[in-house]
Amino acid sequence: MSSEAKAILIDITKCIGCGNCASACKEAHHQPEAPEPTLSATAFTVVETRGDKFVRRMCLHCQDPACASACPVGGIKKTAQGAVRYDGSKCIGCRYCMIACPYGVPKYEWSKLAPYVTKCDMCAERVLAGKPTVCAEACPVGATIFGPRDEILAEAHKRLAEDKNYVQRIYGENELGGASVFYLSDLPFEQLGFITPPNPTPLPTLTASALGEVPTVVFIGGSLLSGLYWFTERRRAVALAEAKERAEQKRR
Amino acid sequence: MSRIRAILTPWRAIAVLIFGAGAWATYLRFVEGWRAATNLSDGQPWGIWVGVSTLCGVGLSAGGFAIAGAVYLLGMERYRPILRTAVIIAFLGYLTVCAGYAWELGLPWNFWHPLVMWNRSSVLFEVVWCIMLYTTVLALEFSPALVEKIPWQGVRQFYLKWHHKVLIALVLVGVLLSSLHQSFLGGLFILFKGKEYPLWYSPYETTMFYLSALPAGLAMVIIALYLSMRSLGVKLDPRLLQEISRMVTPLLIVFALFRFTDLLRNHAGEYLFLARPETAYFWLEIALFIGLPLVLFNLPRIQASPVGLYWASAVTVMGFITMRINVSITALERATQTHYVPKWPEMAVVVMLVTCAVLAFRWAVLHLEILPRAPKATRWLAAPAKA
Repeated sequence: MSSEAKAILIDITKCIGCGNCASACKEAHHQPEAPEPTLSATAFTVVETRGDKFVRRMCLHCQDPACASACPVGGIKKTAQGAVRYDGSKCIGCRYCMIACPYGVPKYEWSKLAPYVTKCDMCAERVLAGKPTVCAEACPVGATIFGPRDEILAEAHKRLAEDKNYVQRIYGENELGGASVFYLSDLPFEQLGFITPPNPTPLPTLTASALGEVPTVVFIGGSLLSGLYWFTERRRAVALAEAKERAEQKRR
Repeated sequence: MSRIRAILTPWRAIAVLIFGAGAWATYLRFVEGWRAATNLSDGQPWGIWVGVSTLCGVGLSAGGFAIAGAVYLLGMERYRPILRTAVIIAFLGYLTVCAGYAWELGLPWNFWHPLVMWNRSSVLFEVVWCIMLYTTVLALEFSPALVEKIPWQGVRQFYLKWHHKVLIALVLVGVLLSSLHQSFLGGLFILFKGKEYPLWYSPYETTMFYLSALPAGLAMVIIALYLSMRSLGVKLDPRLLQEISRMVTPLLIVFALFRFTDLLRNHAGEYLFLARPETAYFWLEIALFIGLPLVLFNLPRIQASPVGLYWASAVTVMGFITMRINVSITALERATQTHYVPKWPEMAVVVMLVTCAVLAFRWAVLHLEILPRAPKATRWLAAPAKA
């Protein structure tokens, strides 16, 4: 893990639901101001109310992202800084990334004639300039903090160790191979609308094993078919020779 | 009036309606936008343009490589009379799929990007390349039917001589490419673990798609042959249809065994009888694609009649379409909490594309040497004058 890799920690027990992160995000990304209930093409992060808890939704910036492996043109990349970035100049609009994402993060600009996929970019330009993400900067209570991934992870572990009221799990540490956004909570994550990871390892490992069979299929299939063709031709040649022989005998 | 009636036959009227609706749908899609033309959403971004146009278009074209492989590589000469039919069905099928991307892709003018922007870890990248290459192979396999019509003998002979030399290699490459992308279309869904309903999620979705495409592709060939005999004056030994249908049964049995073994292996058995809509869609798929065809294709009365085989094949194709829709749409609805029903322009575009393929097939049978045809019979010289 390179030390440039950054991460975000969202502590659900600290969030007061003010929504400053969401409006700061909208401002930074030049999106319409009005708050939205769910992630959309014009909202990369929202604060959901679950009972008396506030849960901020955003892209988890997976370590091995399913969306990036799905994209046929390599238009989604995990950067060294930890962000999973979408490059609209490559996009063909197939929308495979949207279904591939286990968290349902990428959204589409359905109301446009030339629509692009939209998702959180972890304020990539700001981060490159050494600044934190706007959501972390906007948080008045420190419910979202930003920093180097190893330090952020260490901080999360420290909080779990110091306070046993936390569910002893860092959501995003191991889920589907780990992410760059971590959640802490005092209520089970499943009750707060988090998915149970369908796989112990990153999802792309599933398709990688299928894709790994391509050379085998080509080699074995190719040899088998050539062999069958050779056999077919040989049988035809033998049948022809036999017919000729029979004709010869008849003539004698 | 009688003149209008002579020009505007019922079938032509239907074709005009289809193209009218298709044109309107196209206007909606490209001028009014996605919301006016489709019911696609962030929860269901694919819909029937992927579920039917792509998945079924490719799957139902599987007869092309199956018959070409059987004749050229396995020496099953009895299928040679229908070789060109199978190849042209596949060729038109793939052209339809490619044309469909004009509507389906969000940025269709970037369709060439996968040629130069590679992502080898993407199943879709693999599929796109295979489809592009195989469409080229099909064009080459089919080309003699057109080249034969070139009036210059020298050009004709030159082309056909070279074509003959590379043909076996073409067929072999075609079978390999087909096997790869027919499978990998299923491979697209392997990534959706946790989102796909257990009755349809399988780590072996690749094999599932391959094994199901073979019988469906052959059923499609039977349908095309029967309709050509019925409406286009094609003279063909009806026993040939029976010959093809004999291959369908074992292929369906292999698929059915694989499907259920896989379900049990994935511990999806408990979902088989739950009172949920998914269960109904699952059994509909099984009935149409496995149950009914296995019964129908093995009834002596149906085997003996071309029209019977036609209907049995039609049921098989319906079942196949149900399966592909289930995998790509039904299976995702619970996880994404999205109920998707296509809007009419989505359907109009699919119907228009299929109609184009049917009309092109008809033109080819009437004007090229695809199938043996009886000399044109003059049935009625003129419509009787009405009082």
